[in-house]
Amino acid sequence: MKKTILAALTMGLFTFQAYAADTVKIALTGPFTGGSAPMGVSMRDGAKLAIDEINRAGGIQVGANKMKIEVVERDDEGKNERGALIAQELSSMGDLSGVIGTVNTGVVLAGDKYFQEKGITKIITPAAGSASMTQWSKAGVKDLSIFRFSADDGIQSAMVVEDAINRKLTKVAILHDSTNYGVSGRDDLLDQIKKQGNKLQVVATEKFNIGDKDMTAQLLKAKFGGAQGILIWGIGPELAAVSNGMAKLRMKQPLIGGWTLSMSNYIDNAGKNGNGTLMPQTFIEDPITPKVKSFIDSYHKTYGVSRIPSPMSAAQGYDAVYVFAAAVKQAQSTDTHKIKDALEDLRDPVKGVIATWKQPYSKWDPANEQTHEAFRRAQVVMGMVQDGRVVFANKADRQRLIKEAGK
Amino acid sequence: MYTLLIVQLAVSGALMGMVYALIAYGFQLTFATSKSINFGQGELVMLSAFFSLTLIDSGLPYWLVVPGGMLFGAVLGLFVERAAVRLSLEQKGEGWILLTIILGLLGFSAAENIWGRDDRPFPTPISSDPLHFFGIDVTPLELSVAIGVLAVMGLVELFKRKTLLGKAFEAVSADRDAAQLMGISATRTIQLSYGLSGLVAALAGILVAPITTVGPTMASVLILKAFSVAVVAGLDSGFGIVLVGLFLGALESLTSFYLGSGWREAPGLVLLILALAVRPNGVFGKASIRKV
Repeated sequence: MKKTILAALTMGLFTFQAYAADTVKIALTGPFTGGSAPMGVSMRDGAKLAIDEINRAGGIQVGANKMKIEVVERDDEGKNERGALIAQELSSMGDLSGVIGTVNTGVVLAGDKYFQEKGITKIITPAAGSASMTQWSKAGVKDLSIFRFSADDGIQSAMVVEDAINRKLTKVAILHDSTNYGVSGRDDLLDQIKKQGNKLQVVATEKFNIGDKDMTAQLLKAKFGGAQGILIWGIGPELAAVSNGMAKLRMKQPLIGGWTLSMSNYIDNAGKNGNGTLMPQTFIEDPITPKVKSFIDSYHKTYGVSRIPSPMSAAQGYDAVYVFAAAVKQAQSTDTHKIKDALEDLRDPVKGVIATWKQPYSKWDPANEQTHEAFRRAQVVMGMVQDGRVVFANKADRQRLIKEAGK
Repeated sequence: MYTLLIVQLAVSGALMGMVYALIAYGFQLTFATSKSINFGQGELVMLSAFFSLTLIDSGLPYWLVVPGGMLFGAVLGLFVERAAVRLSLEQKGEGWILLTIILGLLGFSAAENIWGRDDRPFPTPISSDPLHFFGIDVTPLELSVAIGVLAVMGLVELFKRKTLLGKAFEAVSADRDAAQLMGISATRTIQLSYGLSGLVAALAGILVAPITTVGPTMASVLILKAFSVAVVAGLDSGFGIVLVGLFLGALESLTSFYLGSGWREAPGLVLLILALAVRPNGVFGKASIRKV
């Protein structure tokens, strides 16, 4: 008797929940203020464009009815402790379907364990270093609810080395900052040079500290070592100091490095000295197809800007929402665990502005992080700074993307 | 070729050293009159640079922005003196140490909230295209720093030596009590020294901003170097500060070339330790006589 009452009660609860949950609740988190804000804000705004589009079309088809997406926004300010607090708060919400966001690796490392504990599906975008996924493979986690939606550092360093080789360079200098990010970037580059057949001779490996403005010594070492190109791993302001130093010393060598060279605080602070700098990009603000054009136009119009602060963050935020929505539709549920299962086996291709995503993820394998990484080499292109904007460095990439979108 | 390389390194480093010297000079000015320094001097540099950037953004021409920013710095200096230093000196206490640090932190938070935490470029009409002198590349921007530093230090030194107010300044520096007995107001003079110190800090901020960019943390590295310069040179000599600044800047640049860029910060620290161990009053300092 007791059992039947209990069963009836739980049944009642479930039906009640089913009626109450007529929206899909997604949290957008990231640094919306502070040094990484250009990335966080662009990601959020790009994601909200996608959410608006979905909601205007009535919502996501789940069962007989369409469900609209409800957004919860949290600003982690790029601070680890804020990130941990936000993750705790979100993971205790109960009716949350998923989380999209985060820029800073430290914030990911501080917060994602709470999502994983409760099995809440999270898509990391637009950034965060490789450590955000390797932490789970190192721990040997069997079932993971964290996915990543950004080009990992390995792809980037491979492309940087490849580009240097394609430019027929034989002698290069490696410059990097003294943070974890810079040092692991240097190791990745050295590793890639070896992997790609030792075609580049490294004539100087120099580091600089956050806040350094005079790079003369490092650059002269590169210059006198006979470097024909400079491979670099660092963040905005110091990268700008390197570019400005190169202009002073009349060094015309190409500067090739991680995607941070597209950060607005690099482009703005380097000014005309930044022209010609090369970096891997997942998205270029160039209306190559009608879909991309409408995305760029509606971003400009909605937020009243003529340049997206971080175009690749905006595009990744936009595409991540569509991938997530496709998983909700396939799972036919707002339950975050079912959405996770659907993400691992997404059957229908998702048309985004970066690419058409076909089975971006598969079942998590702790021996292979690529199972929860969406980006492959094909989705990343080389970008080049030109007069304050990032453009395609290679015409061939542009043509290829247009062709692929036409398929 | 090789000597050219060394000269290039030394010149580039020495030009940055000029900025250390100018900020250190701000310490020296207030220390001379009051035996106190503003530990928030770096924030003064940063706040003045931000204020000048706001003036530029509002469309003011550069030649008006410079005096505007300097005036702002002087006002901040006066505020620091009134709020953090005066009462503590009257009571012969050391409260100014904590109070100037606190004012600095307050300034830092204010800057973060008013102007944000991003590093922003500081537009300047002075070109950053390199000039070629005897095989060495120097930008007009770097030269403007050197000229600005020397000009303002020269003017302040001239003021101290040639005007009545300046003589009062020197008198208070030499012996505060005796000067007071001669009818010179020590309070006014200390106030003046803080105003000048703020002015110098503001100029340092405006000069260095196009090179370092403007952000809340722009002065945090500079201020440590300036401190080394002030301690190594001794807080008595303006001339010594310039020399040590040039020397430290050049040494840093040469060290990072020959020993590797990871050792860049080392010479400043070694110099600091050496100075404190061998000449605690600084290379150009006078031995202090403390009457018991």
